[in-house]
Amino acid sequence: MHATIQKPIDEITGYFKPGEKVFVVGCDNCAAKCHSGGIPETEEMANRLKTRGVNVIGWCVPQPAGVSLCKLANTRKVLQEQYGEQIKEADSFLVLACGQGFHTVMDATDGEMVHPGCDTVFGGETVTDDFITEYCSLCGECIVEYTGGLCPVTLCAKSLLNGPCGGAKDGKCEVDRNRDCGWQLIYDRLKQLGRLEQMKDYVEPKNHAKWSRPRSLVVHAGDATFKSLSGDHMVTNKD
Amino acid sequence: MSNLKDALEGKKFVITGEVGPPKGVDIETCLHDAEHLRGKVVAINVTDLQSAVMRIGSLAVSAKLVERGLEPVYQLTCRDRNRLALQSDLLSAWALGIKNVLCLTGDHPVLGDDREAKPVYDLDSVQLLKAANMLNEGHDLAGHDLDGKPDLFTGAVVTPAADPLEPQIIKMEKKINAGARFFQTQAIYEPDKFEAFVNQASTFKVPIIAGIVVLKSAAMARYMNENVAGIHVPDALVQEMADTPKEDRKKKSVQISARLIRELKPLCQGVHIMPLGWDELVPDIIEQAGLG
Repeated sequence: MHATIQKPIDEITGYFKPGEKVFVVGCDNCAAKCHSGGIPETEEMANRLKTRGVNVIGWCVPQPAGVSLCKLANTRKVLQEQYGEQIKEADSFLVLACGQGFHTVMDATDGEMVHPGCDTVFGGETVTDDFITEYCSLCGECIVEYTGGLCPVTLCAKSLLNGPCGGAKDGKCEVDRNRDCGWQLIYDRLKQLGRLEQMKDYVEPKNHAKWSRPRSLVVHAGDATFKSLSGDHMVTNKD
Repeated sequence: MSNLKDALEGKKFVITGEVGPPKGVDIETCLHDAEHLRGKVVAINVTDLQSAVMRIGSLAVSAKLVERGLEPVYQLTCRDRNRLALQSDLLSAWALGIKNVLCLTGDHPVLGDDREAKPVYDLDSVQLLKAANMLNEGHDLAGHDLDGKPDLFTGAVVTPAADPLEPQIIKMEKKINAGARFFQTQAIYEPDKFEAFVNQASTFKVPIIAGIVVLKSAAMARYMNENVAGIHVPDALVQEMADTPKEDRKKKSVQISARLIRELKPLCQGVHIMPLGWDELVPDIIEQAGLG
């Protein structure tokens, strides 16, 4: 999931020109789970802005339940068919969702002015309803097979690939003594799995061309192509 | 030719020193510190933005030492440069007459004086060692040929008092396979623990230069115990400093460092003295350690 957190309300209210007609859009998937842009938060944002003098002309969280705002076809359909008049009337849109959902609203409204209502903080695991944490950095080249399933790019503050630095103390990272050293976690897990030998293999530097932005994926039923500065990487499930 | 390399390969017990470049362009004090070490040490480490504090670079200060006929160990961390800049700086170092390089990960920027700086770590210390040794062989990390190759003597660091020690040993072996030809260690205050480490690392056959950080006060010892990974100053030593009147502290520092060196000498191939500005004490430390 894309973890998001609402921007401070004063920053948001500062976006709007006097009288600007604003339509607020939330997301019923990730932002709903983060309580940053589900149905209650989006309605609340509309009311909070109104009490601060912002000219909010409506709000919506595209349905069906649980659908992601970043699914363009659905968002376009809902906005255009169910909120057509308000969409036409609006000067701008405030999006309570991740950066992808934000851009989806730009596309769904054919390029209208869109304001970000959230900061997109990371892609994470929803460990419990009130705790989301990061295990993957979306680097485009997964190496967790060799690290006991724990990603050093994400869990090590320095993203070291060949073992710990000398900065850990009592298993805690030098950047924050309350935070586990990622390599301590990897070492413990490899040892527990009887795979400590894997830690001895040299790991090549990351291919940052695969971590170039923006990247894209072309997907079909039987194959997919990942496009990055590393080139087009196609895989098929037909063999 | 690297005097450090010659000495280690000649099985001589080596002594190295260290200077820390300042924050600013006034490097006279730093060069003056280095002068205290002239003729006393085989090479002088020059730290690279030590403690992640933005300063004048280790490359510039190392080159200044070369100009003065002093041999630097150029410290290079992975924190601030991507693989292009790291390799380029290694080539620059060679062109400036620098023969030794110590490849380190580097403290994280949040420990320094600009917490918002981007941590680079494009390479880690093992990969940096490999890159340096590929340059020595006439290729860059991407495999492209060089027009003229360096012959850098490449070293690395290890933390003997790490707990657990096994990950450090695993990484030490990876560093050796990547081209580390000598090791410097974190500060040692407990020779028995160092001996346990040496026994584990004995199969590696790579020279180990034990780190000696000159203890300035009991407060400094307590601070390191609280905050610095891989350093433990035993209570008895903290007490020894605490019991010393301020005016005698430098004398006591010399005694403690010399005593540690005498105890560590049979276990290692050299000592790396980190005087943290008290460079004028280094000649006395060496003398009292019986290495003069």
